[in-house]
Amino acid sequence: MLEIDKVTFCYRQGEYAVREASLKVADGEFVAVAGRNGSGKTTLTRLVMGLLQPTAGGIMLDGRCTAGRPTAEIARQVGYVFQNPDRQIFRDTVAEEVAYGPEQLGWAAEAVRAAVAKALAAADLAKLAGAYPRSLAKGQKQRLAIASALVLAPRLLILDEPTSGQDAQEKAALMALLTELNAKGTAILLVTHDMELLARYARRAVVLAGGRVVYDGGVRALFAGGAAVDGWGLREPAAAKVARGLKTFGFATEAIMPEELNGAICRAGGKAYA
Amino acid sequence: MRRTAPLTKLAVVLLVSLWAMLLESAAALGAVAGLLLALFAASRVPAGSYKALGGLGLFALALAAMQYALGAEAEFSLVVGLRMATMTGLFILLLATTRVQDLTAALARQLRVPYEYAFMVTASLRFIPDLLTEIKAVQEAQACRGYAGGGSVTRRLKNYLTIVQPLVLRSVARSETMAMSMELRGFGTGRAGSYGTSIALGGRDYLALAALAAGTAGVVAARFYM
Amino acid sequence: MAAIVFDDFSYAYDGTTKALDGIRLEVAKGSFTVVAGPSGAGKTTLCLAACGAVPHYFGGSMAGAVRVAGVDTAAGSMGDIAAHVGTVLEDYESQLVTMTVAEEVAFTLENRGMKHETIARRIGEVLAQVGLAGLEDREVGALSGGQKQRLAIAAVLATRPGILVLDEPASALDPEGAEELYALLAGLNRETGMALLVVEHDLARVLAYADQMVVLAGGRVACQGRPEDVLPAMWRQPGLAAMVPPLWQIKLGLEEKLDESFAAWRNEEEAAAELGGFIAARRRGGEKSA
Repeated sequence: MLEIDKVTFCYRQGEYAVREASLKVADGEFVAVAGRNGSGKTTLTRLVMGLLQPTAGGIMLDGRCTAGRPTAEIARQVGYVFQNPDRQIFRDTVAEEVAYGPEQLGWAAEAVRAAVAKALAAADLAKLAGAYPRSLAKGQKQRLAIASALVLAPRLLILDEPTSGQDAQEKAALMALLTELNAKGTAILLVTHDMELLARYARRAVVLAGGRVVYDGGVRALFAGGAAVDGWGLREPAAAKVARGLKTFGFATEAIMPEELNGAICRAGGKAYA
Repeated sequence: MRRTAPLTKLAVVLLVSLWAMLLESAAALGAVAGLLLALFAASRVPAGSYKALGGLGLFALALAAMQYALGAEAEFSLVVGLRMATMTGLFILLLATTRVQDLTAALARQLRVPYEYAFMVTASLRFIPDLLTEIKAVQEAQACRGYAGGGSVTRRLKNYLTIVQPLVLRSVARSETMAMSMELRGFGTGRAGSYGTSIALGGRDYLALAALAAGTAGVVAARFYM
Repeated sequence: MAAIVFDDFSYAYDGTTKALDGIRLEVAKGSFTVVAGPSGAGKTTLCLAACGAVPHYFGGSMAGAVRVAGVDTAAGSMGDIAAHVGTVLEDYESQLVTMTVAEEVAFTLENRGMKHETIARRIGEVLAQVGLAGLEDREVGALSGGQKQRLAIAAVLATRPGILVLDEPASALDPEGAEELYALLAGLNRETGMALLVVEHDLARVLAYADQMVVLAGGRVACQGRPEDVLPAMWRQPGLAAMVPPLWQIKLGLEEKLDESFAAWRNEEEAAAELGGFIAARRRGGEKSA
């Protein structure tokens, strides 16, 4: 549904932020975008939202070029969740906060109510509908930001480092939410530095370096040893790195998660690992 | 103005602003504006300040033209424009030639303004560029959830809240952190800081202050007794 | 004498429940202590108590005491405590108050009334220490996130405190930046004997360096001690197991299943070496018995 076609973006000073980047995301995909700070990840997603206009190349949504379309309209197809939810929260209750988008777009009151209820349920916030948004915990605020995007029923959800600053349990809850949304058909584009999350949840990885797409493919293949992961500023997940070290001992496994590696090692020793 | 003490520069800003308010002839205000331009030239300010000054000049011109169009006399319109330009220009000069923390130190140590207040004045100056970035970020975040802008005046005003509220809350949190961290770095402990050479008054400061006092006396006399 | 001692310390912000509850904790001189725990466990409050902002800046009510270099923090002012403790807050960007890099470092020293020649020398020293040499006149606004983080560290290092407190210093950095930051901190710790108290929820980042781990939950110390003791204790607690770094999830998971005991791995290389040997031995054993 999203097609980024050889997009280039230059800053006024003449530096490239994104260089001839091409990327397609189909309905229902779960794609992680990785790369070091300054590699162009955020610029690329801002281009998709129409917050920036490409210097060259084009971006299509469902076959229609997005050039000149206002961000508010793109938001109906593509939801965007910023890293810092504090930048958008301003209303007195969680439900009102979520209702903001549809109200802006002039939906009928009944339609707004229904959409809000659905988005709150999807983000597991139904119980907090009447709560004061600013007093929520970090993880809950991030879910509120997700609900605010979901309420417009986008088919693609872009999230920029949504797990930064969250503890392990909040991270796991957020990723479970994204997995569930994805299972119900929403495509996910997750910008992240966290390779453990990428290994566990994404089905496809895109790596940017110096504004260019340098890798676009399977998650397991990314860490199989062929790709220049370190050179792109990424760090392999612990299991993948240990697995690579084990190759010199003649033990081959494609594990990228701890329990996979442990399963492989236990099986080699004739034991089941559950 | 770089080697002038911050206290002297503050005095220049305040007293020359006072002149601008008291003087009523376009010629006299023109002279003050000329003085300001000379100070700009003498202080070798960064290019960005001239850009700000240029914008200010245009705005002053527009203001004067508006006054004139609304039926004010030509001289009065000119006076209004020059006054605004001079007073704002003085602040641009101050900011372009003074380190923010020197201003804080001058306010706190020489003028005995409680340091928390002195700090707030200067911190707000330091944060103007950050604030602009933040405004943009908030606007973008709201646009991504359907904020469209435009519409009737009441709708625009209402929409404005969606930007202002997160911004204010974030700024409050931020200045809290800043105040605390400054205290953690030993600011305002009552200990004699070594802002020494940078804020102490020197010979040229006393000269400048004397000239300012004389000028102010002259302007006041001209305004009220002549 | 320990660098920081929390002596049965409890604290509540005005009108709220206890943020910290009966904390007993020692940070030894030269220690690299890492504090972890779920959101809202009191990690930030612990940092603020170590530098005196709690209770001096926030008020609230407290019981017990915090002693820094032997001195009760409730007795001294924040400025006095700052002579021993350098603090880098979570929102380090708001901590930077000047226009240029050199001025930022100078600000700390000017507040202490240092001579200008000393200040100029120290600026050079600390900027070199954190890898910002040559950027003296750069505008703070033009620095990258990682550079700003380093500058905030340089600005508190300038007074040569014996203790450095950092609240989630790597949260805005990419993996490479986080790795470099911790290598820098570990170097300072090793070379100057400076004690570190660092809040970090991604324990994988500090596994190679930490000599003490403290896990907070609900304002209390859930476990504390050497990493090799704390990580297994976390692994056994359902609420904390997810925080165990993946490398140790591998180790502890395997130990459980295989009834084995592996060394206290600090990195993947150590793990691969030991596991490789283990697998090879098992294979030989299997061949023999077959």
